[in-house]
Amino acid sequence: MRIVKQLMAIPGVIAAGEYAYRGDRFSYEGALTDEFARMASIMCRANTLSVNMQSEIFDSFSENCGCRPVQGWIVRGAQLTVCAVGNYFAFIDNRDELLNDVMTIMRAKVGDVQDDLLVNLYARLGGDTKEALY
Amino acid sequence: MDLQKMMDLPGALAAFTYSDKGDLQSHVLREGTELTPQVLDLLARSCVANLAIAGMEARGWEALTGQSGFQPIKGFSVVGLEWSVVVNGNCGVVVKNRDADYEATFNAVQAD
Repeated sequence: MRIVKQLMAIPGVIAAGEYAYRGDRFSYEGALTDEFARMASIMCRANTLSVNMQSEIFDSFSENCGCRPVQGWIVRGAQLTVCAVGNYFAFIDNRDELLNDVMTIMRAKVGDVQDDLLVNLYARLGGDTKEALY
Repeated sequence: MDLQKMMDLPGALAAFTYSDKGDLQSHVLREGTELTPQVLDLLARSCVANLAIAGMEARGWEALTGQSGFQPIKGFSVVGLEWSVVVNGNCGVVVKNRDADYEATFNAVQAD
């Protein structure tokens, strides 16, 4: 939650959260209800897995082209933007320079996402990751 | 569409345009980059799909939560290990993460 708190301290960040591999465990702060945070977590996890799958396809055509493993994604809306890095997400206002600040902080604090995304996400739950996944 | 102007964005490695179906129509690649026209072609197709999904999610989110501000979608970006692709409409730019100015890049793809 430390990263979430740091994000929430930035003016213009509406909500931020962290989700786990299954998408059913999450924590958050900000202007979301529990149910909306649950939906946001599931949506972020699904999109993250989707863009990772796409990056594996790119990589098979051009090995080490620099896209894999995917670190996150951004959806820019008319007034709001959703940023996802690793298993963290943030809903932010479209204010000048806020997106660059939030992305810089998320990339720096979350760190590089490792090669195996599922292991990386699942590891946050604890226990024997390999046994649970394979 | 001035792809050369897009290449002036901080960290730009490639700029490209694509059809509504995702066919790559034109592109410019920075010399020395690992990116290839084939990767750009796949990127363009994934961008069309991701923008459509983002639009669907935005519409659903607004309808379910009553929270406005997402529609219309103004762009989508995938952040890779070394570079990010930023797309909107029928154009996209690939920027090096180290030098990326996401605000400026989103603004540039919105303008065109």
